[in-house]
Amino acid sequence: MSDIKYLKTHEWYIIEDNVITVGISDFAQGELGDIVYVSLPEVGKEFKKGESLVEVEATKTVAEAYAPMDCVVTEVNSNLDTEPELINIDPVVSGWMIKAEIINLDDSGMTYLEYESFIS
Amino acid sequence: MSDLKTTKLHTYHTSKNAKFINFAGWSMPFSYEGTLLEHNRVRQTSGFFDVSHMGRLILDYHQIKEINSLICSELKSLNNTKALYTVFSSDEGNALDDVIFWKFQDELVLICNASNTEKIKNHLLEHNIYFQDVTLSTSLIAVQGLNAIELLSTTFDIPDKFSTKKMSHFSYARTGYTGEDGIEIMVDNENVEELLRLLESLEILPCGLGSRDTLRLEASLPLYGFELSEKISPVEAGLKWTITNENDYLGKKVHDQQLLTGNHKVLKKFILNVKNIARTDTLCSAGEINGVVTSGNISPVLGHPIGFALFETKPDTDLAVFDIRGNLIEGKLLNKRFLS
Repeated sequence: MSDIKYLKTHEWYIIEDNVITVGISDFAQGELGDIVYVSLPEVGKEFKKGESLVEVEATKTVAEAYAPMDCVVTEVNSNLDTEPELINIDPVVSGWMIKAEIINLDDSGMTYLEYESFIS
Repeated sequence: MSDLKTTKLHTYHTSKNAKFINFAGWSMPFSYEGTLLEHNRVRQTSGFFDVSHMGRLILDYHQIKEINSLICSELKSLNNTKALYTVFSSDEGNALDDVIFWKFQDELVLICNASNTEKIKNHLLEHNIYFQDVTLSTSLIAVQGLNAIELLSTTFDIPDKFSTKKMSHFSYARTGYTGEDGIEIMVDNENVEELLRLLESLEILPCGLGSRDTLRLEASLPLYGFELSEKISPVEAGLKWTITNENDYLGKKVHDQQLLTGNHKVLKKFILNVKNIARTDTLCSAGEINGVVTSGNISPVLGHPIGFALFETKPDTDLAVFDIRGNLIEGKLLNKRFLS
């Protein structure tokens, strides 16, 4: 399993074999405030890097999470249907959003330290 | 270096881990523990809001006739000690601001929106109405909630609804902006810490402007800049009930005409049966009538997205379609309030 990496658009991803797991960062959930609904993609749907993967509705605003690389969704976190607040409580573990099979590997995200300096 | 204004309680907010937002030139607490938690706190128990960013002007009672000529409600003949919600309208009949007056026997307190304080001050001066601006020397704390009155009655002499009390260092009114009962207290800055200690001793905790917004929306209350503006009249915003001023006032001709003909924009409440929120500027239509969402958010009590939409004219159906980022979502227009 690779280290967690972050995008400038505040998603995190972890690569394990040929699968990425994607969510949004703790910073992003803090900025959004209470998350009340997550619109997850259908399993099997293909995304190009940078396409809108997930829509996150918070009381403050709506935000999108983008695909970190070309991929095909293999699993979504259906717990978020009933407990979208998992993203607020635990954005990187139980608040994961999707798993997807990598089509074109692009591991150009920031490390935790790089991301931390990016957001500060 | 930020040039945002802060309230007297800024250090307190910071100590309570508030997340701040820039609101009309002020750095204000958006939330402390989360908007939904703070929303539910007010609905189920009580909370307090620092709303010291709102403009507070003290006006001379003797100018009441002149003031009355700028607002759509009858302030002049209102009994002393009463509070009045009203709208300053322009010559075109549109809203310059929606405000609260506290009518004491020797003076009037005018509480206006932070974003409109300078506009209202200029408007008053243009009409030779003079005032003392106490926005920076006082604090305004709104204590609101299901059991707020019960908790406060141990310390405060509770006035009737929409009535006021004046003490030596503070004055207050039984008004609010959450749909719950409570009082709004204007206190000299030197005494606000004492009020804070009192609220803490009553276990009334702070709530941020995030929950103030979801609470007011769920309580079907308009917000200036969204449901009311310099392009929207009180008639259009569903505030016909505030038009009680039978004397001539600025904008009266337009209001009379709108009331007579019904030929004006119409603000409607809506509820959606999905989970997507129809936010401000979302386009919508009801039959042939087009509209635009002015405010939208989740209703924590109803568990559904709700909001206000402004239609070109009165829709003749209660079914509306909202274009939420390309998805057409059906919603229902409501005539009654969101919460009964």
